[in-house]
Amino acid sequence: MSETYGIIASFPDTPSFFHAAEKVRDAGYKKWDTYSSFPVHGMPAAQGQPRSKVPVFTFCGGILGFTVGTLIVWFMNAYNYPLIVGGKPFFSPVFPFPIMYELTILLSAFGTLGGMFITNLLPQHYNPLFNSEKFLEVSGDRLVIAIEARDGKFDPVATRQFLEEIGGTDIEEVSK
Amino acid sequence: MSSDTSNSKGSNVGLIALVVGIVGIVIALFGFKQGLDNNDARPLMSWLIGIGFWISIAIGMLFLTQIWYVFHARWPVIIRRQCEHFMAAFPYLLVLFLPLLAVVLFHDNPGILWKWMNGTNALPGHGTVGEDAIYQWKQPFLNIEFFTIRVFMIFGVFILISGLLRKFSFDTDKTGDIKNTHKARVLSSLGLFLCAVAMTMGAIDWFKSLEYHWFSTMYGVWFFAACMRAALASIIILTVILAAKGYLKGILKQAHRYDIGCMMLAFTVFWAYISFSQYFLIYNANIPEETFWYNLREQNFDGTTNSWWWVSMGLIFGHFLTPFLCLLWYKTKVVIWRTVAISTWILAFHILDLYWNIVPGKLVNPDPHAAGYLVRQFSISPYDIAALVGIGGICIFAMCRSMKKAEPIPIRDPNILTSLNYTE
Repeated sequence: MSETYGIIASFPDTPSFFHAAEKVRDAGYKKWDTYSSFPVHGMPAAQGQPRSKVPVFTFCGGILGFTVGTLIVWFMNAYNYPLIVGGKPFFSPVFPFPIMYELTILLSAFGTLGGMFITNLLPQHYNPLFNSEKFLEVSGDRLVIAIEARDGKFDPVATRQFLEEIGGTDIEEVSK
Repeated sequence: MSSDTSNSKGSNVGLIALVVGIVGIVIALFGFKQGLDNNDARPLMSWLIGIGFWISIAIGMLFLTQIWYVFHARWPVIIRRQCEHFMAAFPYLLVLFLPLLAVVLFHDNPGILWKWMNGTNALPGHGTVGEDAIYQWKQPFLNIEFFTIRVFMIFGVFILISGLLRKFSFDTDKTGDIKNTHKARVLSSLGLFLCAVAMTMGAIDWFKSLEYHWFSTMYGVWFFAACMRAALASIIILTVILAAKGYLKGILKQAHRYDIGCMMLAFTVFWAYISFSQYFLIYNANIPEETFWYNLREQNFDGTTNSWWWVSMGLIFGHFLTPFLCLLWYKTKVVIWRTVAISTWILAFHILDLYWNIVPGKLVNPDPHAAGYLVRQFSISPYDIAALVGIGGICIFAMCRSMKKAEPIPIRDPNILTSLNYTE
């Protein structure tokens, strides 16, 4: 077998799964994750995850959209081809506001979508965890915690023992 | 829940609020009298601002309660009860509206605040109200008799619906009967329409008709947006205080504040959308019958920038941009002092928005023969503060009085458990 990717452990029910996640967090592991076929409320906090970075992408998208919208109108109506419409000034923040506003919304939405892809490392067609038959059952009823070998605290023997202590069953190493 | 101790605390607050309220009202009424004697509309405007501010909070809470019922919202059940308590202020607000109505009905110059009520009131440059073709056209709607009937109809809708919703909810505390929730839901479906009509009518009668020449189909929606923002900001402040005082300690969760905060963000955008659309349509159409309303809020007769221009900028940046940017941040919606700070900020600018809508509404003694006019400038008079504090004191007294009649949260509501265990 090739190099080890990580160790997975299964848990019998959601509460033990949830509390095991808290223990992994408190043990100081960083490169690990929980896998279940349904969302578990409060799991991000139990895993010690910081808040999502997606809003930053949304905000930047919005600012970009607002700026682009303003520049489009200024360039078209006031600079490149000055045009009198309805006796209004060539450029004003009032009449082109719908364009600024619509572009703000459009690029915020793109920012959100892109940010979601970037922060989730998508698209990702392959993950070494798929090598495990047991892991594939996560899409059914299995609850799995996987600690990856690239974690600084990872040790093939100690980590396996730790997962046993916190109530994990069906523990196995997954190779790359 | 130690209801005995909290009730006695509540009664103290209610009593203090009552005393403060009466003092404020006496001062504001003194100003009112001065205004009547000197034919000065400004102290009457103070009263209208005071009424407008507190009724907007109550109307917003009434709408929120009904919306929550209609959507069968489970999370806000504990907050809904606080709204129900505040809605007890409606009958008091009707009583507090009566001085304005008394002027309209019994004073020699009924048009002292709403200029169309006196046919001899002068208009700048073109005669009097009675000779004005626009007034003659609008006269079937804008006449004192119908105005008086409408005041009672508007308050009647608010008092009836809020009273029934309160009754259904308080009854559930005692009987646990789920039929009350169903009845409240049916009533809300109907009540939303009635309240929308009543609120639009109120906005048109009390604020928009100050300048009866002007027309804007956005006005009712503007007032709705303003009401919702005022109510949501008040809910944050109210529930945080109640949590600190023990009523909602451990009950009001971060998730509740977060969701109210999200609604505050949504209605900040909605208010801006409505206010801007009103301006945008009038700006683009560029018809003098409509643009004058904004001109008064920007320029004097001679074209120089007046104080309202600064207030307008204050509204754009203070009432929209600052709360919008702050509320984008997650922490503004959950960290207690930040939510309270932004709510206070929004309420302060809501008052400014009312000033902006009300105070320039009547010119300073226009001369019917000259072409010029004098715009009533922005000022904060002591009577404004007296009216705001006084009417507020009575509203808070009404709320404290209501709080003694029912549990702090609807303990037997079918959705209470979901609300108590609510997480983000």
